[in-house]
Amino acid sequence: MRSSRLAAADLVRVSLLGIGARKLRAALSVLGIAIGIAAIVCVLGISQSSAAGLQHELDRLGTNLLTVQPGQSLTGDQSTLPLSAEQTLTNAPYVQQVSGIAPVSGTVLRNKHIGSIITGGIGIKAARPNLPSVLRGQVAQGVFLNAATGNYPVTVLGAVAAQRLGITTLRPDTAVSLGGKTFTVVGILAPIELAPDIDRSALIGFAEAERAFRIDGSAATIYLRTDPEHVGEAAKTLAAATNPAHPDLVSTSQPSAALSARLAAKKTFNSLFLGLGAVAVLVGAIGIANVMVISVLERRSEIGLRRALGATRRHIAGQFIGESLALALLGGLAGCALGTLVTVGYARYEHWEATIPATALPLGLAGALLIGTIAGLYPAARAARLSPTQALAR
Amino acid sequence: MSPVIELRDVRKTYPGPVEVLHGIDLTIERDEQVAILGPSGSGKSTLLNLIGILDRPTSGTLVVNGQDTAALTDRRLAGLRAAAIGFVFQQFFLLDYRTALDNVADGLLYTATPLRERRRRAAEVLDRVGLGDRLGHRPAQLSGGERQRVAIARALVGRPALVLADEPTGALDTANGVAVLKLLSELHDDGTTLIVITHDPSVAAAMDREVHIRDGRIHPEPT
Repeated sequence: MRSSRLAAADLVRVSLLGIGARKLRAALSVLGIAIGIAAIVCVLGISQSSAAGLQHELDRLGTNLLTVQPGQSLTGDQSTLPLSAEQTLTNAPYVQQVSGIAPVSGTVLRNKHIGSIITGGIGIKAARPNLPSVLRGQVAQGVFLNAATGNYPVTVLGAVAAQRLGITTLRPDTAVSLGGKTFTVVGILAPIELAPDIDRSALIGFAEAERAFRIDGSAATIYLRTDPEHVGEAAKTLAAATNPAHPDLVSTSQPSAALSARLAAKKTFNSLFLGLGAVAVLVGAIGIANVMVISVLERRSEIGLRRALGATRRHIAGQFIGESLALALLGGLAGCALGTLVTVGYARYEHWEATIPATALPLGLAGALLIGTIAGLYPAARAARLSPTQALAR
Repeated sequence: MSPVIELRDVRKTYPGPVEVLHGIDLTIERDEQVAILGPSGSGKSTLLNLIGILDRPTSGTLVVNGQDTAALTDRRLAGLRAAAIGFVFQQFFLLDYRTALDNVADGLLYTATPLRERRRRAAEVLDRVGLGDRLGHRPAQLSGGERQRVAIARALVGRPALVLADEPTGALDTANGVAVLKLLSELHDDGTTLIVITHDPSVAAAMDREVHIRDGRIHPEPT
């Protein structure tokens, strides 16, 4: 006498047939899990892609840039940096590069016939030739100032300044009016993330600024690159090195700190969205359990028939767990696909490289399977508990 | 050869307690064609459930195909059902999302027969019941008489020792009922024991032997 037997392939087939017979309901019931898993994959994928993007930017820009500016005196007056500050800082410990800028008063106009209101918000700044190198900025068109051109009425425009002045392409005769004097534009900078001020400036050489606008040659903001391993130590000594007599009149900052803060802030948002994704998955699981319970009620006679054909309680339980698992797996697969699609699309839109954590997809699928099993347990137990005579009763 | 079915002082009590069967003694030999007759509430459905080992007796001995059912685990009982018993129900119980062929092939699902073999035998049996041209039809595309023939084919596909038919003509008109009875009796000619549960005397008359049940007891004469 043989026991009742159901081959594994047949169990899978029987489980899938039950779903195939109710396609619309199956599709609706997997939606919850699909959305939940997609949300989780998206959160992990997008945050990893964006963090990678930020990290990439941070690596490119470096975290070793420091700025030194005059602080406020006790009476609230704006102080100035000593004339020799740039020179002193060059010799300060761990400092590798130094480049100062100084504001020059005067309006910037496309030409003398255009009102200042239209081209407002652009300032003139005196700059050193090594400024792009210190700020890791790029020259979008033309060239930057050098030791020679710094002595002549030539200017390099920041990205925003060029845009506001309506200069999109450089020609040999492109000129602007700075403080009433005509300057030839020799270059346009690309946007500089670490010093957005520069984007809205027309840069001229210190020598020309001293001659044409009578500035004293002292820098108002000094950018420094330090040894990347000793940024902290360098930062501590800067104030004293800049103004030994009044270190309290010097303020220092680290522009890359804002980027680092954004990186940290992302992680907080992640847990929020992951939590929401988990809630969606949970609701999806309840949806599947609900559909399975209804299915068991509707299919009493099928259960009775299968028992009469020789199915054991275990076969019946297996069939319903199998259905629940298949539903969850379908949802998990759909969710992973959707999540990947959204992540890749969003990353492309943001010009990041799309990266999805290696664990996200297997984790999503494993989670779906776990949920499928849990959601199927109660309905399957109910189906298995049903006695054949009850199930076949009219 | 041992009888197909042997009941000795079988009682069945449901929680309440209500005793539905009060000591049934019944032996059905191989190759016999038996009608179990009785009004509704007589206990004949309970008797069918016991003979079909869908349920166990509260007390007494039930031997099916030579196996004392009291000694068998639930898994073994399921195996015995799969191998030795074919059921035909009044409501057919066909799966509406499966073709006639697969509905019949499912009669072998729990016997570890490979799918290809299940389908081959199903096609053979469907041919025998006159539905060789309806293999791909779903139950909804078949008439009532055809559906019951599919159900009969499903009961036969495992070549069971015993076919249990519960009011097989109950949901059919007279002409289809006659055709189904004819089919069941042909099947008997193949050496299968047939037990038909019915309250219809004309169905019972087509069988070799009538067993009358009333108030949970077997009566020698019709009442």
